[in-house]
Formats: sequence, C-alpha cells, structure tokens
Amino acid sequence: MIRFDNVTMAYDKKARPALDSVSIEVERGEFAFLVGPSGSGKSTFLRLVLREDRATAGAVFVAGQNVAKLSSWRVPRLRRGIGVVFQDFRLLPQKTVFANVAFAMQVIGKNRSVIRETVPEVLKTVGLEGMGHRMPHELSGGEQQRVAIARAVVNRPGILLADEPTGNLDPTTSQGIMQVLDKINQNGTTVVMATHDDDIVNSMRKRVIELGKGRVVRDEAKALYTSMMPVVPSRRSEQGRLRERVTTPAGLGEEEN
Amino acid sequence: MRLAFILGEIASGLRRNLAMVVSVILVTFVSLTFVGAAGMLQLQINQMKGYWYDRVQVAIFLCGPGSSAAGCSGGAVTPDQQKSIQALLASPAVAQYVNDYHFESQAEAYQHFKEQFANSPIVDSVTPDQLPSSFRINLKDPEKYQIISETFSSRPGVETVIDQRQLLERLFSVMNGASFVAIVIAAVMIVCAILLIGTTIRLSAFSRRRETGIMRLVGASKLVIQLPFVLEGVIAAVVGAVLASATLWAVARFFLGDVLAKQYPDTAFISPTQALMLSPLLIGLGVILAGTSSMLTLRRYLKV
Repeated sequence: MIRFDNVTMAYDKKARPALDSVSIEVERGEFAFLVGPSGSGKSTFLRLVLREDRATAGAVFVAGQNVAKLSSWRVPRLRRGIGVVFQDFRLLPQKTVFANVAFAMQVIGKNRSVIRETVPEVLKTVGLEGMGHRMPHELSGGEQQRVAIARAVVNRPGILLADEPTGNLDPTTSQGIMQVLDKINQNGTTVVMATHDDDIVNSMRKRVIELGKGRVVRDEAKALYTSMMPVVPSRRSEQGRLRERVTTPAGLGEEEN
Repeated sequence: MRLAFILGEIASGLRRNLAMVVSVILVTFVSLTFVGAAGMLQLQINQMKGYWYDRVQVAIFLCGPGSSAAGCSGGAVTPDQQKSIQALLASPAVAQYVNDYHFESQAEAYQHFKEQFANSPIVDSVTPDQLPSSFRINLKDPEKYQIISETFSSRPGVETVIDQRQLLERLFSVMNGASFVAIVIAAVMIVCAILLIGTTIRLSAFSRRRETGIMRLVGASKLVIQLPFVLEGVIAAVVGAVLASATLWAVARFFLGDVLAKQYPDTAFISPTQALMLSPLLIGLGVILAGTSSMLTLRRYLKV
C-alpha cells in the first residue's frame, strides 16, 4: 500500500538528510508503528506519503502510484485516499462535532443525504454516538481525538496516517484511542502511526519500524517499543536516554499550514 | 452540495472580514466612479461634437456704434458696406465653401441673447444696439474657416470673424483635461484597490487557515479551496462597481438632466441611459481587478 524505494529526503543540502535511502513497504491492511526519537524522520515519512514534499531521491509509491509523478491537480485525489490524525486534533472550534466530520465530506462534494447518513455511522464507530451536536470545547481530549479520527476516516480512505495521536492524552484515554484505531484497521484500513508512546506500542504488539537519524534501524513484526534483541550492557545508557525523552511531549506534529 | 458549500464559505468569509470587505467596496467604488466620470466626459464630448459640428457657424460680426476694433474706424457699418459683404458672400470665390448664410440683425441678436441668458440679470442691462449684427455662415467644410477669415476680416465694416468651432474646441480641450485628471486619480485609486484586495484576501486566508489546512488534507480540489476567496474579492468589487454605476446614473439624471440642462437648454447632455451603458465596463473592470489581485495573493499565501 505504501512503498519507499531508497528514499532520500534532504531539506537542506548541507545538513544530514531527514531520510537517508529508506526502503520500507507497508502492506494493505497492515498496522505499523513508526518509532524513533525526534528528528529521526517520522514526520518526513508521513509528509512524503501525503506528497506535502517530494523526495530528493528514490520513489514513494502510494496505492501503486509514484506520488512524485502525480501532477498537482491529481494530488487532492491521492489525499482523498489517505486519512490523517494529529497530536493536536485540529478540529474547527466553531463547528459542532457533526459539522466537523461533515466538513471533510462537503469539501469533496458529497451530497447532503450521503453526509447525513454516513456521519452518524462514523461517529458510532469511534464511540461518539449521539454526540454530534456538541461543540469541540465541550469534549475531553480523548473525545476530541475521536472526532478527528472520525473526520479522517469518514471518506473511507485506504490509509490512515496518525502522527502521535495519543501525544496529548493520558494512558487510559490513549488505550481507548488505540482500540478505535485497531477497529478501523480491522475494517481493512492500512494504519501507520508515528508515536513516542512505549506503553501503547508494547501493548499492541504490531509491526514496529524504528527510524534513527533518517535510517531504518529496526523493522520487526509483533514487536515492542525497544528492541527485543538482548541489550548489550554498553548500550544501556543510550536506552535510558531514549526513555527519558519519550516522557516529554515531543515536537512531531509540527505541520503548519 | 458543493455550490451550496462554497456559497456558505463565501458568506462566512464576508461576515468575518466585514470591515475589510467594506473598505474594498468603498475603494473600488471611488476608483470606478472616477473611471466612469472620465468615460462620461468622453461620451459628452462626442455627443456635443455630433450635435454642434453641423450647427456651428462662422460669424462675421459687423461694426456697431461703439466698436473699437481697427476695421471700425468709420463707426458703425453702413448699409453699403453691408451690401458689399453680402455680395462677396454670394460671389463664386466664396460661395463654393459656403453651405448657406443668413443675416442676424441687432434685434435678432438681442432676442437670442435674451434666450441664452434667460435667468441671468445681465439681460436687463443690455440693449439691442450694444449687440453687433452679423452674418452667420455655415461652411461646407468647417476646416476652411481660414479662407473666410482672410477674405472678410479686413473688409471695412467688419469688426471680427469668429469660428465658433474654435470656441467649442476650447471647451472640449478643457473637458479632455478633466477626463485626463479623472483617469489619473482613477489609476491611483485602482492601485490602492488592488493592494487592498490583496491584503483582504490575505487576512481572510489567514483567519481560515485551519479550514483550508483540513481541506487540503482531506483532498479538496484547488478550486474548492481557492474559489471562496477569489469570489469574496470579486463580490466586493462588483458591489463597488454597482455603486459607481448608480452614482454615474444619478449624476446624469439629476445634475446633468435637472440642473445643467435647464441652464444650458441648447446643449445636448448625455442621458442617464447612456451613463448606464458604462456600467458593464465598470463591473467588468472590477471583476478583473479583484480576480487577478486575489489569485496573485492566493498563489503566495495559500498553499494548496
């Protein structure tokens, strides 16, 4: 569903590239975690899938299409096939929950009756049945993230990208969000989730792709947040640092538009 | 659905940005009014040319009792002098240029003067013998004025030869000057309008960046994202253009039609309908202005 062929992405020619000849393939219907410290290239990975940027070298394939070869007027169609969820929810504060979700359908020209039928269904899927009339500020963080997920999947995209969706939430709420994402994955949607949350990764036991300094350092099925390989004593200190870092909310979702 | 959605977006954009939208309306209104004023002056000039050029005459004013011109040293024109002038007018050398001519006596001149200055107190202080009698000549070709002037101006009994067309030309050049000034002001105001529309669109794009960001992510087309902004500017400019057209109509109807037409009954002023004919031009200009400036702005400030 998503395939990176030797992808290099350098924002600045002199500096170390954000991604350095990365090759990854995520199959249709798969659930993959993207982990790694800040600056390891997780956000760049997601931006390349969305074609917010074009790779400096190599090719990115999404649903069989080389995204670099898409003409700019076809990019919206690519993005219709991809749902995105962020750490900061990005709901429209002056619209109700229903209107927030409906917005994603309105702007691609879905007609009113389809919207009226689909939105409540999706709200039910994310566990917000009957809360369509509420305003975002009346909801808890977890509920707001559910609205954001509903909005991301309402057009039934084949891929769901989540950039630290639990970054602002407490562990219990995060578990609830993960259940929603898992349910969506089980309905056939490919899910790629960038995260720093080791508890979540450890409890889900899904594929883990670990990036470090722009390279894939680990790609394991049914894995944990840290490597299951025996830890060499000399690397222990590094592991500790990694754990420390994940407790602070990291600045991934810095996508500003 | 999409149309309804875009209309809703436009309405909310206009509401949120009301002060800026009003200023865009006013600036386009003022600038297009100046454009329209220049257009009206040109229409008026054409109208007057069409009306007057067949009617204007060369006038040979004859000496009156009080004339002080060089040719009038012998006092008022004598009947003999008048006859010889008339004979010259009828002679083949001059007649080939002349369409027709007639003599206007002092009494007739007074009559015309009274009509022309009907509501002016000057009428009371003028008597018929203060006004010169004249020959009024219609030329076949108005450009041949020089020949008439040379032939007659040194004849005894002729005070002066006047080409009324020159008087009109002077008036037209004043009007042309006025329309040039109007165009210059309009140009400055249009620059102002372009910049203001750009700023307004930028503000609008900034205040709706959350929405547009989400629209991009869920795959809304460029058209759906940008059209509301462009139309916002275009609608404001069209409202301005409509106000400008209404102003021009009002000027033609009330100022030209009611005030000036009464003061100058023998002048053909343009009608309100003719003024309204300028309005498609103004609206088109407004649309082009707003459309281009908002599209240029969006290219820089709204990533799609």
